[in-house]
Amino acid sequence: MALLDYTRRAMLAAGTATAIALSAISLSAQTPDDVLVVGQIAEPKALDPAAVTAVNDFRILMNLYDGLVRYKDGTLEVEPALATSWDISDDGTVYTFSLRQDVKFHDGSDFNADAVKFNFDRMLDEAHPYHNTGPFPLSFFFSAIVSVEVVDSMTVKFTLNAPYAPFLSNLAYPTGLIVSPDAVAKHGTDFGRNPSGTGAFKFGEWRSNEAVVVEANSGHWEGAPKLQAVVFRPITDANTRTAEMLAGGIDMMVEVPPVALSKFQGDGYTLHEQAGPHVWFLILNAKEGPFSDVRVRQAANYAINKEAIVNDVLEGTAAVAAGPTPPAFAWAYNNSLEPYPYNPDKARQLISEAGADGAELTFYVTEGGSGMLDPVAMGTAIQADLQAVGLKVNIETYEWNTFLGEVNPGLEGKADMAEMAWMTNDPDTLPFLALRTEAWPDKGGFNSGYYSNSKVDELLEAARASTDQNERARLYKDMQTIVQEDAPWVFVANWKQNAVTSDRVSSFSLQPSFFLLLNNVDKN
Amino acid sequence: MLGYILKRLLSAIPVLLGISIIVFLIMAMIPGDPATAILGSYATPENVEKLNRDLGLDKPLFKRYFIWLGNILQGDFGRSYSLNKNVIDEVIERFGATLILAGTSFIMCSLIGICAGVLSSAKQFKLTDKLITFIVLLGISIPSFFLGMMMILLFAVHLRWFPVSGMWPIYGARDLTALISHLALPASALAVVATGVIARLSRSAMLEILRQDFIRTARAKGLDEKTVIWRHALRAAMVSILPILGIQAGFVLSGAVYIEMVFQWPGVGRMLVDAILKRDILLVQGGVVFVAACYVIFNIAVDVAQHLLDPRIKA
Amino acid sequence: MIGFIKLLSRNRLSLAGLVVIILVIFTALITPILPISDPDVIDTKNRFKTPFTTDALLGTDHLGRDLMSRLLWGTRLSLAVGFCAACIAALIGSALGIIAGFYASRVDNIIMRGIDMLMAFPYILLALAIVAALGPGLFNALIAVAIVNIPFFARNIRGVTLGITHKEYIDAARLSGMTDTRIIITEVLPNVFPVIVIAMSTTVGWMILETAGLSFLGLGSQPPQADLGSMLGEARAALITSPYTSVVPGAMILIIVMAINLLGDGIRDALDPRLKSGVLSSPRPRTLVANYNEAKNLDRSELLSVSKLRTQFHIGKQNYKAVDGVSIYAKKGACLGIIGESGSGKSVTALSIMGLVSSPPGIITGGYVNYKGSNLIHTNDQELQSLRGNKISYVFQDPLSSLHPLYTVQKQLEEAIKAHQPVSQEEVYQRSIELLKSVRIPNPEQRAKDYPHQLSGGMRQRVNIAMALANDPEIIIADEPTTALDVTVQAQILSLFRELTRERGLAIIFITHDFGVVSQICDEVAVMYAGKIVEYGPSEMILNHPAHPYTSRLIGCVPELGKGKRELASIDGLPPMVDRLGHGCAFAPRCEKTISECLNNDIKLKNINANTQVRCLKPEIHL
Repeated sequence: MALLDYTRRAMLAAGTATAIALSAISLSAQTPDDVLVVGQIAEPKALDPAAVTAVNDFRILMNLYDGLVRYKDGTLEVEPALATSWDISDDGTVYTFSLRQDVKFHDGSDFNADAVKFNFDRMLDEAHPYHNTGPFPLSFFFSAIVSVEVVDSMTVKFTLNAPYAPFLSNLAYPTGLIVSPDAVAKHGTDFGRNPSGTGAFKFGEWRSNEAVVVEANSGHWEGAPKLQAVVFRPITDANTRTAEMLAGGIDMMVEVPPVALSKFQGDGYTLHEQAGPHVWFLILNAKEGPFSDVRVRQAANYAINKEAIVNDVLEGTAAVAAGPTPPAFAWAYNNSLEPYPYNPDKARQLISEAGADGAELTFYVTEGGSGMLDPVAMGTAIQADLQAVGLKVNIETYEWNTFLGEVNPGLEGKADMAEMAWMTNDPDTLPFLALRTEAWPDKGGFNSGYYSNSKVDELLEAARASTDQNERARLYKDMQTIVQEDAPWVFVANWKQNAVTSDRVSSFSLQPSFFLLLNNVDKN
Repeated sequence: MLGYILKRLLSAIPVLLGISIIVFLIMAMIPGDPATAILGSYATPENVEKLNRDLGLDKPLFKRYFIWLGNILQGDFGRSYSLNKNVIDEVIERFGATLILAGTSFIMCSLIGICAGVLSSAKQFKLTDKLITFIVLLGISIPSFFLGMMMILLFAVHLRWFPVSGMWPIYGARDLTALISHLALPASALAVVATGVIARLSRSAMLEILRQDFIRTARAKGLDEKTVIWRHALRAAMVSILPILGIQAGFVLSGAVYIEMVFQWPGVGRMLVDAILKRDILLVQGGVVFVAACYVIFNIAVDVAQHLLDPRIKA
Repeated sequence: MIGFIKLLSRNRLSLAGLVVIILVIFTALITPILPISDPDVIDTKNRFKTPFTTDALLGTDHLGRDLMSRLLWGTRLSLAVGFCAACIAALIGSALGIIAGFYASRVDNIIMRGIDMLMAFPYILLALAIVAALGPGLFNALIAVAIVNIPFFARNIRGVTLGITHKEYIDAARLSGMTDTRIIITEVLPNVFPVIVIAMSTTVGWMILETAGLSFLGLGSQPPQADLGSMLGEARAALITSPYTSVVPGAMILIIVMAINLLGDGIRDALDPRLKSGVLSSPRPRTLVANYNEAKNLDRSELLSVSKLRTQFHIGKQNYKAVDGVSIYAKKGACLGIIGESGSGKSVTALSIMGLVSSPPGIITGGYVNYKGSNLIHTNDQELQSLRGNKISYVFQDPLSSLHPLYTVQKQLEEAIKAHQPVSQEEVYQRSIELLKSVRIPNPEQRAKDYPHQLSGGMRQRVNIAMALANDPEIIIADEPTTALDVTVQAQILSLFRELTRERGLAIIFITHDFGVVSQICDEVAVMYAGKIVEYGPSEMILNHPAHPYTSRLIGCVPELGKGKRELASIDGLPPMVDRLGHGCAFAPRCEKTISECLNNDIKLKNINANTQVRCLKPEIHL
């Protein structure tokens, strides 16, 4: 009897609780005014710009901090931010920045030349007292820096070991964001959880795996943001994120899965799209196997139906890529380049010319990863296309970190092709790291397919050393033509980043840099 | 009894040590290292090597294990590099969330499962029994992540009765009401499978007991059927149901991984999946040892309960 | 095998499970020759087509592949994977379990600690880590799933092995000099095999679900290959927009897992030795009554009489007539003995009185039980319950199993009192102590706190008797209450019964197979054979002058004092199966005086003198 009684009581209690819960929930279904709730794809690692690498973390950081320079709204061109102006020496090795007056960090300390020097020394100087607050995985962005000198309290001078064209662009990257030296000194290794910058929002609280809350910084040098606060909620599962958006639990979600787009076509939602500096490609093993023959590599480019992948599998959230440089780098992009057309007959012909009929290929596919879009579905479609022209492809899928561990050391002896995607901030980065002969894996680069063309090497070295943008543009365009012809990769897609906002959100737009800038966003 | 508990606790130590060694070895076998995980696309061998040095991962494996063990004995579980936080803080915080979810779910599935099993056995061959058997089988056969997502779509998106995900409201009071409303869907989704298993096994345990002579005695004494079933039979059946509950507790704890991912519950299961994928060995190590310790302690508690329940076995 | 399927088919749900699983396996086997499209052909233009809209019957997936075709191929693969994983887990797990159970002590300790480690590790994470370490692929997922299921097998099999290693035949094998390996293979394995099969049948479904779970985490088969788990995993991305792509593999998993579970239940029942005779069923609170005609005008002055009682057991298609038209009368202050061999229906007669025959399979099909004018076969449940243990109480054969093992003597006594009398806690305690005293239990206050297992056999039976006396009954029905006791204790209990009859004026119905017992306490005796009474009369009369050949043979088996017990089997032949009784005397095949008439017609119970009735054409008349 006792148990029966307990059960009854328990059920009664559960029933009552449910009833209470139901009544409570109907009240709190909507997010409050002036507070924007953003559905993020993952929990941030840290809120220390020098310590993180993920786009997901950058989305928060760009609102907490400012850099010396930043990308102009809607472009990838650099404009002043905490630095009001700068001079570059004729040889391209000395950069002198004049800093903005009367800027204060969120913790109340002053922004000045000492703070700037502190930031870069912390990352680069192993003897710096706060170097132990790292590690700083992307510090190599600034490895060209020889010294940072304080000229006066509002002037700072960077000396480089050689001309390095992407320097300014790298400063605009989140790794170059300026943190408060006082806060670092105060919190030490915990700075990443107690961030302090100069940005439009200041840190509120971080509830592990629930939310990062940032609040308006009324004293921001560009004026206070319109929102009172922004809540970043990490929601890893794409379905759950979509469900939250549909249920009104979040006001904005980034990286909408292509299949879910149709749910947000109607009123009540705004769908935002912005192409960015992203390229999705297949690394082909040019050192051995069928792809050592340029004709087979070209054949692969002809055989794969990129239109179908981009328009059907990805539901139009990407565009067909023509070459190694994404069109988002408008100044460096070679407009005359046409993507390889879908032409299976031509592919078959090239393959039989090369005598690679019926070759068996191993294809590394990842389960997911930064910028990889829908890698398994895309890989499967690619496999089917190559099968159709007589190449037998065996897929091996790996979880992202394992995948990188397999691909980055080079494909030799293991695989013939591998998926890969890069998001960069300068046209220099990707080809310099992944197409040069000097960038073969054994030399510390990412040229995992062992492509080598001395002309390309020369063009890339020259472009990096030049500070004249027109000159650089010409070099990059030449490089693209050669690389497209040599086909070390299959150029597949350039992603158009997307986001959905509820109709309560206004004045929002995505940036080509893939950053999320919220200081002008309004909500009513 | 106290001596017995102490003995069991002591025998748990080699188990936990063994688990920590297994974890260390498996983590070492997994290709890719934390540096690759942190650097992502920028993981050149050179960068990886430098970062590994910064993280203190350049020492040989066994050396790192003993350093870890030494630190543990001083109460230091190390620092997670993927979260930039002390392992023990994170684990305790996340484990609390899992405990609330799995605990609620476990209580739900125990109560409902046992009641369903008892009802089913008492009404054997009748419609109630068949209905319960069918529902229970259905419950066992649905993958919990599928069920969870379907529940979100129905109850959270369409009906808007419950929030979609998370443990607490983003704004507003963090009181019991808020917790229950967030808990309702994930706890139910998690409970379904275990409820089924418990109901099935309770039913057969009850059937076994109901055939016993002492049940006939109870009836011959003129006890009413409720007392016969819920007191005499269930009490005796609990002896074989209890160990099942112990095992199911492990399943609920494990199954919480899926549910935590689907419902974005800030629990330790999801943390561990992330930690494995990010090769955050210290976090995996700390988390697994913690979870395993709790599981072991829970099972000792079950055994103690078993002793209290059944005077025939003496420690 | 035929027998096995027959057993299996008794459970209709299991049969349905078997049919479904055979269908699924058959479809999976013939998939390669079915006229379906290639499961890997991609048609991205036609992705997410809903079922029945295009050529693809079940619609298409996210790459426009035919879901029907993928489902069939996927089922094929998943079944294979689930089965292989179950086999691997069963093989390794059982081996570990047998070794641990067989060698026990240190080996057991080491193996079980290892198993504990696997158990304490959240299994999904373990599987995840293993797959991550081994690399991608369905085969590695299979290994991971198999590994995480090893503890399940090891623990189960170890338990069973531990249970049988102390059995005599294992000891015998050891003594005969067999090697351990041979003992394990020839003696242990055959005995644990059913458990392995049962465990496997319950895990195959699990395995398929778990591989689905792994592909939820992104670890499963390599594209474009389809297995149910990875189909579900791939479809998950479109769960909100195109739920049917998940529902198709999800439903298939559901069907397979349900069918396997149902089948597993059936296999378990079929292999369980205790269930050979019937489905594991729990008795209802009261024996079922069928085709019943209400008896009228019962004599209110009678204490208790049973008339033309028929109780049958319906098992499958068999119909056992356990009690076939039995009539007996209990008188105040007198003891009526019912005697017969096992299976003669004496216990069933006794249990039928208060509706305590297990049902299913027992059914009362005729007759009535008159208790002071009310028919106990047909009273409502409430009334019956208020009489049970109150006016009419029982003492059963096995004193240990008749007591609840987990309650103290005191609690069980108090419960019996409180079931019928609203008395205070204080009073109920006093009463229970008195009851214990009245059945001559020394030091009752102490014994009251004991659990049944702490008492000796005689003490237990005294507790049972005390419980039967709790509410001052008018009738005690004692079903072989001394059979399980040794001889000296038997004598004590019998004398206790004698005193009770005398002091309290109780009517006792005493079931026994031993004429020695009858001679000691019964005033009247009814001799039963094959469900019928063959002789009924005063016990002194019958003991001295048995009229039925069976009775006299039974009396011939009575042990003489001090010479131990002789076996009833000293009557040649065995009692007949009560499911295939023909016409005529059931004892005829064993009787020396059989004549042809004995076999032709049913023989009536006839008075041979004023007090004695006999069912025999040629009774032995002693004058």
